[in-house]
Amino acid sequence: MAERQNNLAKMKPQRLVWQLMEGFRGTYGWAIASLLFFTLINYLTPLVASATIDIVLVADKEDVPALTQGILSLLGGESFVRENLWLPAVVMVSLTIAAGLFSFLKGRLAATASDGIARRLKDRLYDHLQHLPQKYHDKAETGDLIQRCTSDVETLRLALSTQVVEVSNAILLLTIALPVMVALDWRMTLWSFLLVVPVILFGYFYVGKVKFRFKEVDEAEGQVTRVVQENLTGLRVVRAFGQQQHEIEKFSVPNQQYRDRSLRLLRLMSWYWSISDFAVLLQQGIVLFVGAKFITEGSLTVGVLFAFMMFLNTLLWPVRQMGRILTELGKSVVALNRLGEILSESEESSPTKPRRPVGERVRGEIVFERVSFGHREEQAALKEVSFHLPAGETLAIVGPSGSGKSTILNLLLRFYDYRQGSIRLDGEELSSLERKWVRSQFGIVMQEPFLYSKTIGDNLRQARSGAIMEDLEEAARMADIHETIAGFTSSYETMVGERGVTLSGGQRQRVALARAILQDAPILLLDDALSAVDAETETRILDALRGRRHRRTTIVIAHRLSTLEHADQVIVLEGGRIVQQGTPAELTNKEGLYRRLWTIQNSLEEQFAAANPS
Amino acid sequence: MKQEPEEDVFSERLDLSLWGKIFRRAVSYPKLLVPLVVSAIIIAGIEACFALVTRWTVDAVTAGQAFDDLWPQFLSYGGLTLGLASGVWIFINSAGGLANHMSHDIRKECFQRLQELEFAYFDHRPLGWLISRLTSDCDKLSRIIAWGSLDMVWAVCLVTVVSIILVVLNPVLGLMVLAVVPPLVVVSSFFQKKLLLSSRETRKFNSQITASFAEALQGLRTTKSLVREEENLKDFQGLSSGMYRVSLQNATQSAIYIPIVLTLGSVAAGVSLWQGGLGVLAGSLTLGTLIAFIFYAGLFFQPINQIAQVLVQMQGAQAAGERVLSLLGTEPKITDSEEVLAKLAENGARERPPEVAPDGGESQIKTLEFRDVDFCYEDGESVLQGFNLQVKAGETIALVGASGGGKSTIVNLASRFYEPTGGQILVNGIDFRERGLAWFQSNLGIVLQGPHLFSGTVRENIRYGRPDASDEEIETAARNVNADGFIRELEDGYETEVGEGGDRLSTGQKQLISFARALLSDPQIFIMDEATSSIDTETEQMIQKGLETIFEGRMSFVIAHRLSTIRTADRILVIQKGQILESGTHEELLAKEGHYHTLYTRQFGRSVAALT
Repeated sequence: MAERQNNLAKMKPQRLVWQLMEGFRGTYGWAIASLLFFTLINYLTPLVASATIDIVLVADKEDVPALTQGILSLLGGESFVRENLWLPAVVMVSLTIAAGLFSFLKGRLAATASDGIARRLKDRLYDHLQHLPQKYHDKAETGDLIQRCTSDVETLRLALSTQVVEVSNAILLLTIALPVMVALDWRMTLWSFLLVVPVILFGYFYVGKVKFRFKEVDEAEGQVTRVVQENLTGLRVVRAFGQQQHEIEKFSVPNQQYRDRSLRLLRLMSWYWSISDFAVLLQQGIVLFVGAKFITEGSLTVGVLFAFMMFLNTLLWPVRQMGRILTELGKSVVALNRLGEILSESEESSPTKPRRPVGERVRGEIVFERVSFGHREEQAALKEVSFHLPAGETLAIVGPSGSGKSTILNLLLRFYDYRQGSIRLDGEELSSLERKWVRSQFGIVMQEPFLYSKTIGDNLRQARSGAIMEDLEEAARMADIHETIAGFTSSYETMVGERGVTLSGGQRQRVALARAILQDAPILLLDDALSAVDAETETRILDALRGRRHRRTTIVIAHRLSTLEHADQVIVLEGGRIVQQGTPAELTNKEGLYRRLWTIQNSLEEQFAAANPS
Repeated sequence: MKQEPEEDVFSERLDLSLWGKIFRRAVSYPKLLVPLVVSAIIIAGIEACFALVTRWTVDAVTAGQAFDDLWPQFLSYGGLTLGLASGVWIFINSAGGLANHMSHDIRKECFQRLQELEFAYFDHRPLGWLISRLTSDCDKLSRIIAWGSLDMVWAVCLVTVVSIILVVLNPVLGLMVLAVVPPLVVVSSFFQKKLLLSSRETRKFNSQITASFAEALQGLRTTKSLVREEENLKDFQGLSSGMYRVSLQNATQSAIYIPIVLTLGSVAAGVSLWQGGLGVLAGSLTLGTLIAFIFYAGLFFQPINQIAQVLVQMQGAQAAGERVLSLLGTEPKITDSEEVLAKLAENGARERPPEVAPDGGESQIKTLEFRDVDFCYEDGESVLQGFNLQVKAGETIALVGASGGGKSTIVNLASRFYEPTGGQILVNGIDFRERGLAWFQSNLGIVLQGPHLFSGTVRENIRYGRPDASDEEIETAARNVNADGFIRELEDGYETEVGEGGDRLSTGQKQLISFARALLSDPQIFIMDEATSSIDTETEQMIQKGLETIFEGRMSFVIAHRLSTIRTADRILVIQKGQILESGTHEELLAKEGHYHTLYTRQFGRSVAALT
């Protein structure tokens, strides 16, 4: 487990990227190399046309730059090309095909690397989240974590697959173009770059300034969804109070806000696009007319002007995007930092003692000795709780909500670490045992149990992977849910949740119980596990559980005291302290919270009994 | 496995009448649509003209004209540039404006329609499905209509203008260059479709991955206690490698697509250079024209790509269009009839005494009667047959019996959320379909299993029962149902935010607030679907007291589970398979030793035995 201890604490974003790129650095490098070749060839192509125009068509050899002359002599010289004018055309097309090949390699390699990195990052986040302590999850917001793990990863992926490539492309275009252009004509080069830097700066600052407007639009959209969702979930209430008109007015607020914010953003962006378009066209115009002036002065050839115009065509459009891309890259740094935050959280600590064999089972003796547990937001506190539960016996925990009942179970499952007192499982200190091994000793059913969105059968098999159909049915029968499941059209293959059947609270509880039965762990924890099941069924289930061959150690939390009558001992909690302790019979006869609850619950039934003389 | 099939539809053929209907909506925004079309045409024209100005300039200088005589070219260029920039500004604002206004209006209409539709409509449509109709579908449609029309107009104009220019400049060379257009069209539509499908596939995987993260976080305790971390990770890796595969496929497709298109462009440029060069050598073509041809050769790719893209997107969004239009086209089945509307119009205008309802009938509900009521759901499942029941004002009716017996159907019919498929439901002896729907439902107070609160403060939630209620009335209502005490103990008292769906409060607290809300609306008929789920003993007592306040002097229907509620009812109906098996008070029914007796000795028998 040592490799789980991560060393990512507060890593710089660029180092984190470098680390995440491990194994893909070579691929990514080749992608950039392909980009380089693509760019080189792309510049060569207009030069072929330029040379052909100047030397063959205009035949004005005096002023032609050495570069174009060189290219033409490579093609076989002036007269040869004049005789075979198809040759430059074929060369141009072949060059484009070659460039296309590199463009393909660039796209494919960059995607392989960035998608691979994104996939590995997602796997790692998933694994990491599963191993973070409960304490972390109590504080973290689920929605926020999901957002980070999906859209932040996507932002990062886009940065690597597109934005970094685009930026490299622009840089390569500029650096390669510069010497070629200077070799052709240095004055024209100066004129060509007149507006390039202003265009980039304008884009960068403008998009940076309106960035928060994008967020505003997203928020407004989220608000629309929320109001629709709330209206539809509360549909019956809306109708019951005849508030349709009120709801329509309520909806119009976010709906209009969404529209108006989108329109405002649009207005801002329309200035951005039209101004940058204007600047780009202006730049091309400058080159055209300055070139024309030089031609009339006799210091420039038509072919070279043509080459400059083609260069600008390939150069300016990526440059125009630069401002926007740079801001997007800024976003991905933020995303990276947010991901780094998650990855740098420490996972659940591991014990120092050697690992236990997976199959080993405890007898099930549990001892709490003066266990106190501090104030945490989500967890009720415990103060000096002590009890001894011999193997095979049943302990019932009773008390008002917030008295610490569930905290006892959470400590047993090692979801939280106790600091004061001692908890022993079969005589061994719980904190010295491996968490996963400890958890495998417990079967737990919670009040609002969680079922995976799989089939019912697969949900049960979560507890025991190799379970055969007979096992599933037996467990389901014991939890009194087999008949219900068999009644569904697809029986055990019925999907749970949005895409399948919606199970009632009681049905969910019983499926979860069947899962725990199938798990066959030495200790069973029932946290108000049958609260939504009617009393008769509950008794039947509890009787069935008691009738199993090996009696397991059981801890039950319940509100209905009548279901606790078979417990070997009861503890009554109030404000984290044990206020009463004894057998159910003892506690019924003693003044105290237990008896008070018992009286309230039974008074109605006593009346019922009185009215029912049989 | 049930997937959401409607997301995967890719229509092979464009349904022109559907798009016609959608486009007709766009026509109702002439102030945006006209500048959109005009600016698209102008931009296409200007873009086509740039190369002409270049040709003009080059020809002028090669002909030896002086630089000072180039001012017409110079002015034209400047004019074109300004025209293009302002065209871009106009088209972004008009297309974006059209998209946003349309989507706002369609969304508003959809929302209104949802408020009117009867419950049966919602029975078979999951929440998420409806939400995406109002969000992504509306946006998708409007965007395609606005930006799609813009791209189409622009692209078609550009291709046409450029083709004309090429043919006019030099018919033979022009046709040679135009020969690359058909293959461009074929290649573009082929790849655009591939790209759309694979990017859809990617999104599907992405939403599965999102769901998987959500499940991992929500079910973490369960996962940890079942020690399923490794297996879950394996399942997740299945998804993430699936996403890797389709995402890479998508990238590869566009990596192939772009070079092919560029090559086609360069073939056109090569042909221009070769054949045009021969023309220049022969003196039949100017150098400027040759350069213009090479520029034009590269100009076809963008517009044809756009046309293909718009068409493919329309195919992809057709299903969304059908869904939105079908929602808007669904007529609510439960509405006021013509006669009732006429009566409402007649009586609404004049002053009326309090005993007269807005529809002209009696405003007091004295009796509610089910007469030979049949009911079956849309899928044909029959729930009630020849059901009869008469309830008088002030009576509390408890409905008990196994689930699926028809208890909820009875209260839903009594609320006119559904209407009987046979027989009648009578209010004071008159069929309730002859009374105003809004009047009738505004006299209902309903509390449901799993009480629903809206986000907002406690006070706002109670006020929902009667928007014009004063603060004192709200607090009185809360006091009467025993809710005042705990509300005052909350952080901000009545101003405490309850959170989305009220989830910052416990179930018992939400229940009490929903009682206060119902009491405030002072309904003539009170309906309650009681929850069985765990409420601790002390809360249950508080709830019972609140309930008794509401029941007082009101016609009430309760689907009851708690013995405490059942016992206080004036009449208990044991419902099974849509029939009333037994009816009477608690004592009467017990004395009968029939179904009720069995039901309750079974449920409570064990505890009773324990006592004796």
